[in-house]
Amino acid sequence: MLNKLATGAAPLVLLFLFCLLGPAIWPTDPAALNVGAPLAAPSLSYPLGTDALGRDELARLIHGGRETLSVAVPATLLAFTLGTGYGLIAGFASGILARLLMRLLDALLALPSLVVLLCGAALLPLNRVTVGGLIGVTAWFALARVVRTEIMSLRERDFAQAARQLGAGPLHMARRHLLPNIARLLTVNATFLLGDSVLALSALSFLGLGVPPPAASWGSMLQSGIGLMDLGAWWLILPPGFLIAGSLFAAASAGRMFLSEASNQQTKVFWFFSSEKNSLPSS
Amino acid sequence: MGRVAEAIATLFFLVTLTFLLAHAVPDGPAYAILGLKISPERLNALNTQFGLDAPLWRQYATWLWHLLHGNLGFSYLQTRPVAAVIGAYAGRTVVLYTVATALAAVAAIGFGWLHGVFYRSWPGRVCSGIELFLYAMPGFFIATVLGMVFGSWLHVLPACGMADLHQAAPGLADRMAHMVLPASSMALFVTPWLARIFAQGVHEEFSRDYVRTARARGVGFGSILLRHVTPNAIRPMVTMLGLSLPAIFSGNVVVESVFDYPGIGWLLWRSAVAHDYPVLVGIVLVLGVATMLGNLAADLVNAWLDPRVTYAE
Repeated sequence: MLNKLATGAAPLVLLFLFCLLGPAIWPTDPAALNVGAPLAAPSLSYPLGTDALGRDELARLIHGGRETLSVAVPATLLAFTLGTGYGLIAGFASGILARLLMRLLDALLALPSLVVLLCGAALLPLNRVTVGGLIGVTAWFALARVVRTEIMSLRERDFAQAARQLGAGPLHMARRHLLPNIARLLTVNATFLLGDSVLALSALSFLGLGVPPPAASWGSMLQSGIGLMDLGAWWLILPPGFLIAGSLFAAASAGRMFLSEASNQQTKVFWFFSSEKNSLPSS
Repeated sequence: MGRVAEAIATLFFLVTLTFLLAHAVPDGPAYAILGLKISPERLNALNTQFGLDAPLWRQYATWLWHLLHGNLGFSYLQTRPVAAVIGAYAGRTVVLYTVATALAAVAAIGFGWLHGVFYRSWPGRVCSGIELFLYAMPGFFIATVLGMVFGSWLHVLPACGMADLHQAAPGLADRMAHMVLPASSMALFVTPWLARIFAQGVHEEFSRDYVRTARARGVGFGSILLRHVTPNAIRPMVTMLGLSLPAIFSGNVVVESVFDYPGIGWLLWRSAVAHDYPVLVGIVLVLGVATMLGNLAADLVNAWLDPRVTYAE
């Protein structure tokens, strides 16, 4: 079992290590210009080549990863809190309030996520806090729905009914009885949310509406690589792209590991299209 | 009928929200038009000219009143009515959308057959692996790599724009060539997902009694697959195709911006970058209507595929 845990979480751990320990292992300054070697192909001194200004691409990728995570991780926490909170309230509510909350959620889920992100980014002054906030505020809808469904079924179970008969208030119910029961599910979804946040940030940065320069996330590095495509600088396009894809894969892999821990059912299908989240990836 | 009313209420809510957000920042539109370094006099003059100094509720009422008369507002960036702007770009996206959806449906059915028929053996597993791989790839990366390989390295397909600007009158062939990369990228985003749903359907249908009976009667494999299994397995895919319209549109924004294809997604992107709020609000409205119609169309196709399905409530 420990083995399975390790293999599932390994990609995510590696990703974090790459970003956290990267500067210690490869201490080149990502902003140092070397005008003598613009667009140098990968070599021993530049393992992943240089960009148009002669900056070391590997160092830039490491720092781009830190940039990406420094926005995506807080965004994940925000989305996680909002989704869990909304799901709890919607699961607890009854009557017209419950219907209203559900309608609102359906409306939010029906929005093309990238459209919401672009509209939001157009309205906000862009910096780390606003971009992270925007991603967090728009990423929680699917989680809220999952939590709501679970809470609705849990609150009808005998132990929950009994606790309520004994006079447990909603807060006590949520903290002591309901949330512990969905802890695994929440862990799974938090992991998936991290992937969603990285993807959202990368898409925004790719479209030039992420955190503005000099900050460079993987998405904006990929974008600037495209401009140099015709010069054959594949090392500016493939590495950031594969790192973004790799982090999505890492999040999915860790989530799937948690999920198979959570239930012994056929989980492969679940994470691929969890029916609760029957929408495509955002972009 | 109830569903339509609900959809309209949702749409109304969305559009109101977008409008209010866009106008929540006082002077926001004025800054968007004239830039951040403008004198207070010019700011005030512009706000008066566009009615942006009125209270928010009055701006909203005016906008709603005009909306009911078919007036979506005026684009700051392109200095012409929003309806005209959207109209100019929408047609191109509809064409791209149609081609991409057709491509995706054909590819998903072909791939889904292979995957569904060999569900538990190695060809199925290979299909499954390919689907997962493509599914995990971010759309903008797929589009970029396709553009890089076919446009920049092999020089076989144009990876920019919707026609060759060096020609005086680009012909149909040229336009089709420019469509190949955007349309196939868009199709690639959805194909793995649709193929997987379809494959599951095919796999399940093959274990049904009627298939066994048909086999016992001596019906050939091809006939079972085409005439019995496929029509039943295809329905969930059609529903999903309808439901996933918003998600496909997200992909569309990415594709149009990567390949500089001047459609609605490109317009949305440029309007967001340039803070052209009336166009943003207009696009959200148009998209909402399109999504509603898309879901309705999927329901109708489903009802046609399976006469037992009714949507009366």
